[in-house]
Amino acid sequence: MNKIYGEGDTKVHALVDVSFSVKKGEFVLVVGSSGSGKSTLLNMIGLLDRPTNGQVSIDGTNTTTLSDDQISSFRNSKLGFIFQSSNLLTDLTVLENTLLPRNIQHTDQNAMNEAINLLKAVGLGDQMNKRANKISGGQAQRAAIARGLVNKPSIVLADEPTGNLDSVTAETIIQLMKSMAEKLGQTFIVVTHDRHQFGEVDRIITIRDGRAFEGEDPPRKMEIKV
Amino acid sequence: MDYRIHLANRMLANKKGSLLGAIMAVSIGILVIHVNFVIFQGLYDAIIRDLSGYRFGDVLVTNREDVITEKSDVFLVNWLERIPYVEAAAPRLSSSASINVTKSGKTIQDFGVPIVGIDPFHDIRVSTVHETVKDGQYVFSRNSIVVGSTIARDLGGVNVGDNLKVKIVNRHGEDAIKRFIVTGIASSPGGQGFDNSVVIHIDTLRDMLDRQKETGQILVKLNDPTKANEVKDLFLRSFPNDDFKVETIEESAEQTLSGFRSGIAMINMIGYFGMMSSAFAVVTIQMMLVSSKTREIGIMRAIGAKRKDILVIFLFQGMIIGVIGAGVGTGFGLSYTFYAKETKMSFQGSLPLQVSYDWSKIIQTAIMAFGLAVIASIYPAIKATKLQPVEAMRSV
Repeated sequence: MNKIYGEGDTKVHALVDVSFSVKKGEFVLVVGSSGSGKSTLLNMIGLLDRPTNGQVSIDGTNTTTLSDDQISSFRNSKLGFIFQSSNLLTDLTVLENTLLPRNIQHTDQNAMNEAINLLKAVGLGDQMNKRANKISGGQAQRAAIARGLVNKPSIVLADEPTGNLDSVTAETIIQLMKSMAEKLGQTFIVVTHDRHQFGEVDRIITIRDGRAFEGEDPPRKMEIKV
Repeated sequence: MDYRIHLANRMLANKKGSLLGAIMAVSIGILVIHVNFVIFQGLYDAIIRDLSGYRFGDVLVTNREDVITEKSDVFLVNWLERIPYVEAAAPRLSSSASINVTKSGKTIQDFGVPIVGIDPFHDIRVSTVHETVKDGQYVFSRNSIVVGSTIARDLGGVNVGDNLKVKIVNRHGEDAIKRFIVTGIASSPGGQGFDNSVVIHIDTLRDMLDRQKETGQILVKLNDPTKANEVKDLFLRSFPNDDFKVETIEESAEQTLSGFRSGIAMINMIGYFGMMSSAFAVVTIQMMLVSSKTREIGIMRAIGAKRKDILVIFLFQGMIIGVIGAGVGTGFGLSYTFYAKETKMSFQGSLPLQVSYDWSKIIQTAIMAFGLAVIASIYPAIKATKLQPVEAMRSV
């Protein structure tokens, strides 16, 4: 896929011929320097933005043909998001935030129990009834992980999930994501500029000047794997 | 509860200033309409009440050409009082007179004074004029006279017990002069009563005019004023060959009230424009709410909320504002109405307002305010749905 912003002199080629596939259950790290196009790539995979050309296929569905409503439903059922700042809704409690994707989906059956179990699993069993703005940054990011997982998505997308956290809390969050990925067999695509925080992962994709490369060694252009 | 209602509630509850502002805007819009209604409809109804109570009754029977001569007043009053809707009927006869009074050796004269002849027994059952006699008492004998406060003042300050000389030109063109004892001074708030007239016994007036058995008008008071047209129709059907003219109070008072009615319509329109201004205030406040919740909208869209979900959240907010605003505004309005009614509100000693609870109008105003609050939320809600998740989430 390609993504071009602007026109004429202001045209920016944010993603250039990026093409790769991710296996179910993989923990993929997308690394690159600031402004390289990592977040743009994540927005494309997360269907938050559309590529200028090319396509994103998830679970065999070509998402480029979907309508706005279908994309929303698709995002809701197939994708989980963890943002740099936790992006919880401050008007709701931690539990209500975790339940929100299920509420949007209108699949309330067992949702409460599952959300509570997830919050317990991320260590927020005693914080779930607090307003989202009354917990610490690390706790908010844990809640965001729980929210990202509550719909049992095909892929969890995390955009600099530790970017706003101190190193100790960041380490905890990384371990939490890894353990959840392992425990649930969950696919994770994590964007970060600090590859070393994450230690051992299944796969690394490097983005440089909008181009994607397999591994940490930038010169080698990534080969397409289907 | 649907999460959208819950979220709409929470978002509003956490923006108390905006919520309060929007509620106040809706409430004030309603209050303006209630105040307008209390004052102007109250004034209109007060004029009708006083015209009905003092001069026309609920139904007024007259003769098309002159005075009623076809039937005696006793016959007509008895006939009318047999109708179940009729509470009482009373005859009256009017003319004009010259009046003079001698005070401290000085004679003061007033010309062209309206003089009304009433039947003291029947009149107090039909009319409320006797209640305007603030000093002394109503006409009770053939030689008693009640003087309107304006006439009393013009005559140099007539008091109860004074002697007045009344001169009337009778049907033959001759002067008929008679002395009366002032038994009361009539003064009505708003001056709709007999402040500019004098009142005597109808038989005395008939004698002076030499118009025995003649009646100027029959005032009819109904126990159910909504039946005025039925009584009118029944009367006219029963006396088809006579030259009677029968009018309901609305018809009798038409000349006085026609201008006033268009004034009320204008004031009501201003009230509704005020409500439209409230709607614009709601639009502004809702736009501010949408703007302050841009990031949240982006998050919701990112985790799968559809455009219609966002639309519904902000429309629910409009409904919440509408319901609370309509409730509070109606509460304020009813409190004002209650206060005006209980205190018999009047302005600078003018006639007390005839305040009533017009429930259909109250409900209609509340529904309209609610509807406007919802309509006012449509544009901000649509704006909210247009936000792209990525751009919205960048907002801080």
